[in-house]
Amino acid sequence: MTTTLTAEAPASGAGASATRPGDALAGTGALVRFILRRDRIKLPAWLLGMALLLSMFLNGVAELTKTEEQRQDLLRIMEGATGAIFGPGYGRDDITTERYVVGVYGLFFFVLAALMSLLLVARHTRAEEQNGRAELVRSAVVGRNAHLTAALVVAAGANVALALLLGGVMAANGYGGADGLLFGASVGAVGLVFAGVTALTVQVTEYSRAATAMAGTVLGAAWAVRAAGDMIEDYGSPLSWFSPLAWSNQTRPYVDGRWWPLLLSLGLAAVTATAGYALSGRRDVGAGLVAARAGRTDAAPWLRSPLTAAFRLQRTGLIGWTVALTASGFLFGGLGEQVADPANMSEDRIDMFGGSVDTLLDGYLGVITMFTAVLAGIMVVLGVQSARTEETKGRAEPVLATATSRWAWFGGYLTVLALGLVAMLLIVGLATGIAAAVAESDGSYVWDLTAAHLAHAPGILVMLGLAALLFGVLPRAIGVTWAVLGYSLFVGFFGEIMDLPGWARNLSPVEHAGQPPLDDVSWPATVTLLLIAAALAAAGLVAFRRRDLETT
Amino acid sequence: MTTAIVTSELVKAFGRVRALNGLQLSVKTGEVHGFLGPNGAGKSTTIRVLLGLLRADSGRAEVLGADPWREAVALHRRIAYVPGDVELWPNLTGGEAIDLLGRLRGGLDKARRDELIERFDLDPTKKGRTYSKGNRQKVAIVAALASDAELLLLDEPTAGLDPLMEVVFQDVIDQLKAQGRTVLLSSHILAQVEKLADRISIIRQGEIVQTGTLAEMRQLTRTTIEALTRQPVTGMERLPGIHDLEAGDGPVRFAVDGEHLEEAVRALSQFGVRALTSHPPTLEELMLRHYGDELAAAGEPAGDVR
Ligand SMILES: Nc1ncnc2c1ncn2[C@@H]1O[C@H](COP(=O)(O)OP(=O)(O)O)[C@@H](O)[C@H]1O
Ligand SMILES: [Mg+2]
Repeated sequence: MTTTLTAEAPASGAGASATRPGDALAGTGALVRFILRRDRIKLPAWLLGMALLLSMFLNGVAELTKTEEQRQDLLRIMEGATGAIFGPGYGRDDITTERYVVGVYGLFFFVLAALMSLLLVARHTRAEEQNGRAELVRSAVVGRNAHLTAALVVAAGANVALALLLGGVMAANGYGGADGLLFGASVGAVGLVFAGVTALTVQVTEYSRAATAMAGTVLGAAWAVRAAGDMIEDYGSPLSWFSPLAWSNQTRPYVDGRWWPLLLSLGLAAVTATAGYALSGRRDVGAGLVAARAGRTDAAPWLRSPLTAAFRLQRTGLIGWTVALTASGFLFGGLGEQVADPANMSEDRIDMFGGSVDTLLDGYLGVITMFTAVLAGIMVVLGVQSARTEETKGRAEPVLATATSRWAWFGGYLTVLALGLVAMLLIVGLATGIAAAVAESDGSYVWDLTAAHLAHAPGILVMLGLAALLFGVLPRAIGVTWAVLGYSLFVGFFGEIMDLPGWARNLSPVEHAGQPPLDDVSWPATVTLLLIAAALAAAGLVAFRRRDLETT
Repeated sequence: MTTAIVTSELVKAFGRVRALNGLQLSVKTGEVHGFLGPNGAGKSTTIRVLLGLLRADSGRAEVLGADPWREAVALHRRIAYVPGDVELWPNLTGGEAIDLLGRLRGGLDKARRDELIERFDLDPTKKGRTYSKGNRQKVAIVAALASDAELLLLDEPTAGLDPLMEVVFQDVIDQLKAQGRTVLLSSHILAQVEKLADRISIIRQGEIVQTGTLAEMRQLTRTTIEALTRQPVTGMERLPGIHDLEAGDGPVRFAVDGEHLEEAVRALSQFGVRALTSHPPTLEELMLRHYGDELAAAGEPAGDVR
């Protein structure tokens, strides 16, 4: 076996001091096929999923662009600061379905294409090195650059396929051929850029997750720069052009389509990928450019109880969620005046924002608060799922083999999540309130919105209780909590508009808090929700004490 | 109290798999007890039941005089555990993990912790996700051995260690034994426990099939001998307890029952022994003997095992 391999090796013969250029790529073809085989489900799922999503958006939005009133509603989302969140807003003076989908929902496709590409490249380069498989593969007739090249080839192919597919979906729904393809290409271009960026970040760190996090940060920064740039000036300012996402927006499909901005995307993809190759040539297999940082020799003195241990393990997540929700709360809090302008607002939207023109702003803030609360619910459910991961991965086992009871261990998680939730709602509420107070020049919003956010805590604690109960009784079904969360969001947004019956709305724990700050805090509801949450959590704890610890 | 662990008729099923099938285990206080069995025999399941992490379907288990399911927490203050598959927290360092586990048990001896880290040549500043399997195992071993637990439950603790570290490990366990602590040491390789264990229990398909000292067990089994002699070996086949004899032009090979070893070696020496190797029975051979008994009992030809 070994001898066969050496015999076949093209140029590792004696005297060849440096590898020949072609050698560095030896085996690329085989690796490409190997990647396609390993991703034979994942990659088509990404592509078809995005095609399906586009189809859904097109059909959904077509229903919303029928009357002038509806188009006025959509305009609100496409202009000013709100519009800048999604894009520069081309075509908003005469909104059509395809213009709206490309101009607003285009952002979702950019982000998805970027994620598909960056995960793909990281998965087949750094992740392979990290788990040692690359070493095994590279000891065969596989060149130094083969892994990276193969991953980039597949990423490029996937993005070309994506461009064609999205163009096809546009055409199939009757929205022009060339512009549809241009939109597809704009999405694919974002994917290519982030494949290139990831080719660079995977060289820097030893860990796949850190490499994807870095590329993800670049994506976040690209969005922030584009959004800020587009806020400064209608249809984008010079600042916008520093973001690769802007280039894909600036192709202006269905307005006056132009291809040349995509040259910038291709250029950046090429530059970053080349830099990746250069760095890759300067390091060992498995190593990063930045050596892994050493940590503490001893644990901090406070890390000594199940509660503090749960906090230590959840800390990064809690901080991340709080920062993200605070930023979005600040943004949405400041946008109130503009969004809640009653002129030309449709009946539907007035219903959603509380039903009365006089309290539109409070109604809007109520929707934002409810939305934030549901997002906080995601954090809480993820927290319970991470406790479950601790259990199944076997990390809970050595802890529960110490003098730590099941109650203390899982109770520690629940306590950290509950306190973290309340602290987070407090901080986010303050931030939203301050932004609204500044925008409205009315200081009372600080207190009102803080209270409004906290008023949602009991409802979200019921979600925590539900997840805790499932953890104890039927841990495989913790995911059911997601459905409840999704249902609550649905009821919060559309319950009024769709005239859902009272009982159907009452199924949502979030609904019982009303729509603060529009509604006052209802103390009986608050107390009832807290009691239900406590009962559910206690039942979960008892059930966990009685069941086997499950490790896989 | 003379027994640290007693189980009787322990049964534990996972769906249709009966992981423990009437397990009878007994470990005396102060002994190092080898717990041997092939993969999937039920070693880890037994240890998890003894820790109260799993609840037995039926049967009784008593650890340090208490019921491990009902009095788990109180018991755990007196027990240290090394899991079979050590998983560490990705963003905690090895040192942090050792301290956390030690403190949760009720405190650990800092000097002893540092000494063990040094002896096992462990870098405590690395993050959990960067440790190799062997190093993850060392973290769990240090956390367990730095405690003053009376009873240590070690599930294949040396599976990922290199030979050098295995020697260190044996040394440390010897120290613990000298201090009178009780150790249950599981493994699927006889060689890993034979240096340490006072007594051994062999588990197969959720049942203990043999218990005793290694010497007792060896009595019941065969040693394989291979020798190079000056003169051709003849007549060995007439001696009692000789099996699988191969005596031709080259070296002579045979297996001999433990009780007849002395006679065989004496006979062999007459032919002028130039080189001699002997292989004590491996776990597989100890197990095979049991299979052999079972097969014979079932009235089937036991082949060359018998
Ligand atoms: N949580 C579980 N779910 C289902 N089957 C299990 C589980 N744990 C162990 N088993 C099964 O029980 C048997 C004994 O496993 P285990 O105790 O881990 O064996 P050992 O540690 O001796 O290798 C095996 O057949 C294994 O597949
Ligand atoms: Mg095991």
